[in-house]
Amino acid sequence: MKHHLKMALSSVLLGAAALFTAPAQAQDFDTMTAEELLPHALEEGKVTILSLSSRIAQIKTSFEEKYPGIEVEAVHLNSTRQIARLQAEQRAGIYAVDVLYMSETPVVYRDLLPEGMVEAFIPARVKADVPEALRENLLTHRLSTRALMYNEAAHPDGSPIENLWQLTTPEWRGRVLIDDPTQRGETLDLLVEIALNADAMAEAYEALFGEAIEVDRDLEGAGEQFIRDLFNNDVVMINDTQTLRSAIGLISEGAKPVGFMTYSASRNNERDGMALQISNDTVPAAGILFPTVLALGKNAPNPAAARLMIDYLMGDDSPTGGTGFEPFAVQGDYAARRTIVDHPDAIPFDDLNLWLIDPERTGQARQRILDLVIVLQ
Amino acid sequence: MNMLAARAPWLARAVQSRDFVPLIMLAFTALLVVAPLTMILLATLTPDGQAAWQAVTNSPLSRNLWWRPLGNTVILGIGVTIGSVLLGGFLAWLIVLTDVPMRRFLAVMSILPFMTPSFASALAWATLFRNERIGGQAGYLASNGIPIPDWLAWGLVPTLIVLIAQFYSLAYTLIAASLSSVSGDLVESAEMAGAKRGRILFGIVLPIVTPALISGGMLAFAGAVSNFAAPALLGAPVRMQTLSTRIYGMVQTGNIERGYVLALLLMIAAAALLYFSDRFVSGRRAFVTVTGKGTRTKRFALGRWRWPLFVFATAIGVITTIVPIVVLFASSMAPRPGVLFSNWTLHYWIGQGGTQIAEGQAGIFRNPHLIDGIFTTIRLGLTVAACAMVVGLMIAYTIVRYKASPYTRLLSQLSFVPLFIPSIAMAAAYIAMYGTSLGPIPALYGTFILIVMAATANLMPYAVQSGRGVLSQLSADLEESARLTGAGPMRRMMEIIVPLAIRGIMAGGLLVFVKIVRDLSLVVLLFSASTPLLSMIAFQYASQGFMQFANAVTLLILVLCLLASFLAHLLQNKVQKWKKT
Repeated sequence: MKHHLKMALSSVLLGAAALFTAPAQAQDFDTMTAEELLPHALEEGKVTILSLSSRIAQIKTSFEEKYPGIEVEAVHLNSTRQIARLQAEQRAGIYAVDVLYMSETPVVYRDLLPEGMVEAFIPARVKADVPEALRENLLTHRLSTRALMYNEAAHPDGSPIENLWQLTTPEWRGRVLIDDPTQRGETLDLLVEIALNADAMAEAYEALFGEAIEVDRDLEGAGEQFIRDLFNNDVVMINDTQTLRSAIGLISEGAKPVGFMTYSASRNNERDGMALQISNDTVPAAGILFPTVLALGKNAPNPAAARLMIDYLMGDDSPTGGTGFEPFAVQGDYAARRTIVDHPDAIPFDDLNLWLIDPERTGQARQRILDLVIVLQ
Repeated sequence: MNMLAARAPWLARAVQSRDFVPLIMLAFTALLVVAPLTMILLATLTPDGQAAWQAVTNSPLSRNLWWRPLGNTVILGIGVTIGSVLLGGFLAWLIVLTDVPMRRFLAVMSILPFMTPSFASALAWATLFRNERIGGQAGYLASNGIPIPDWLAWGLVPTLIVLIAQFYSLAYTLIAASLSSVSGDLVESAEMAGAKRGRILFGIVLPIVTPALISGGMLAFAGAVSNFAAPALLGAPVRMQTLSTRIYGMVQTGNIERGYVLALLLMIAAAALLYFSDRFVSGRRAFVTVTGKGTRTKRFALGRWRWPLFVFATAIGVITTIVPIVVLFASSMAPRPGVLFSNWTLHYWIGQGGTQIAEGQAGIFRNPHLIDGIFTTIRLGLTVAACAMVVGLMIAYTIVRYKASPYTRLLSQLSFVPLFIPSIAMAAAYIAMYGTSLGPIPALYGTFILIVMAATANLMPYAVQSGRGVLSQLSADLEESARLTGAGPMRRMMEIIVPLAIRGIMAGGLLVFVKIVRDLSLVVLLFSASTPLLSMIAFQYASQGFMQFANAVTLLILVLCLLASFLAHLLQNKVQKWKKT
């Protein structure tokens, strides 16, 4: 009996101590190094991460090997579902998620960040390696692309598209492929970025057609005019990635269409008998770069382990980033840490002719462009 | 009961009232279904939600956001319903009531399509019929010199065909279950009275199976209306949208309120259609046929039509079953997408890791999560099938036995609603409702129970409809006699209703099992750990671009469903012993 009482008393005291020190600790955690975080993380013993990439399974293995005693609960869930789940959980007062690894940043910055449902954590050791634009709010882990791709075997002298406006000409009528922008956020963001770069699009129009563009009265700028002209030029939508890839990329006889997809689709060219290549020289740009970010969940139940996980995912100082980053190093994706070298077969980051999206600005313009596309369908 | 009458007369009156059971079931359904529905409704009343109502119903967007998708959806729904009932009904008649050769074989062929995922059938269609519309490589037929017009390659027509090819087998399952309860006595008496075959078919058999026809038709309708994969894959190249592709798109692009508004409108439209079909059924005379005397089913002699009809039925099966499965199988063996029938390899099934193929990924049977995944999937499938059938049977029983109560129609409609609730909304509502402790209910978040609850609610329509088809024929006499001899309600259920309705119950349980095992978009959101489920493993492979592995896992799911249907068949034979001799 006495023993029980003692136990109960000490646990109450411990709990009280934790209560008083916890807020102070959370603050400190942000400035701690991995070594300093480790003992606290070991005490927590666990970390829950929602990840848009199934490669998180490899991270679970290597993280648990490096930090024995901390169990990783890795849930593979696309960004839309992560957002829905986090909102539902937190509205019910459940704080179960430590780390989120997600894209769809225009929605994250519009619906989650202002509500404080996710929080930023930037390990001090990587700060200098990540360009400022990639860590203003949440920490970018890597950049993915949505770009114009063509068949290199059918066009050995380079891309047939030198100017985006060519896609609106009769020659390319019905020969431009895209996945449905009303169903894929990344493709919608590509169109949004084109709309936002109205001046560059107007300039490109004049360069191709030799006269200034006339924009329809109900539209705002040359970018929106491009979207309308593209859809009126019978752009073909395909919702199956595999079909989209092979329609453009397969090495075979006949004329090939061009289309927008992720640049990393070219990484399996050899395996799949394809010749996909990015149309990097197209003016004003071949497409967009968009961030995949790492964030802490609000009131993360394992705050130290959560930070340790983010620190780990940002990779070590080696050119490959070590076990924490390697699973995500594929041709066509780019690490936010510029100490991690680009894939040798891919165009170097600095030579990419792609627009980097600004999630906040994109989020504001998204609705308007979505509505424009819906009317055009 | 007397004590109750003395203590609380109002309660006793309530219990004895004909509305009591329907009301209890209604309350139960409310917990499972009305909760998520309310959440959706509330979300559309916020300022964002009101803007969404405006955009959908009264703006320049309405035409493309609501009216045209609605038109396509209604055409698909009605077309698939008619096609499925005709095809499924024909096959059920052929297999259950005639002496067509190799009935077992035909029966297996007829249930397979429901187990093939619709994306596989849609991809198979595209592989064969793809034309120059999307450039690149042409489909099999076009590259053999057969020109394929756009309307046959893409859009409404192929979507309709692919969905009928899937849902006729659902109609078949329900109708066959009901037909097998047509007693040989009835047919024999009719024959003795000199009725011709056509007269027997239209005068006796057809009226008896009408409830099953309607149930099968309603499920086919709901399935077609809420199907996403087929219209998304086959409709996009010609810009065809249905309400389900629109709802999916709105959720994906962060316009969740618009998705909810569309879902609510879809529910209203579907409810209106179903209301009329419900009236149509309830207005008919009710037939009670299953009396348990159970002579062996009497079979029509087909005469010289035996073989031609066999060939015809086999052709249906081959086109709708074998072709998609072969395409799926080939694409799990072909090293290059688009080049399906050459250089086959077993690597994607059993190959070792670390080779040049597939970025060093090992075959699926070397994936340590796979075996785990198989068992977790089976456990979930069986649990949900059992729960859904218990709930479904109780609701179906209430609907059939308490026809007079005004609450019954509401119950019947409510039990149908989950088919139209987008899975993301359903999951969110379940997290919101049962995530934290609620009075006596503890917090269920992250538990297996919550997942089972959500899945049961989601698949309730299948269970209720298949229960209804069979229960509506059960004779009340038997139950009455049992009650007079002192059997309690549980005992009556277990010893009379269940054995007589076992084929319907098994059919329903199988439908639920197949649905939950194959498609887990709802459940994924509720899993709190990285619990491997087969469909999640397939999705993981697919999202990394390893389509061969994904297809191999999909085939594995198909095999699992087949095994389940085989076991269901065995069990049902064991219970219905009297049919054997």
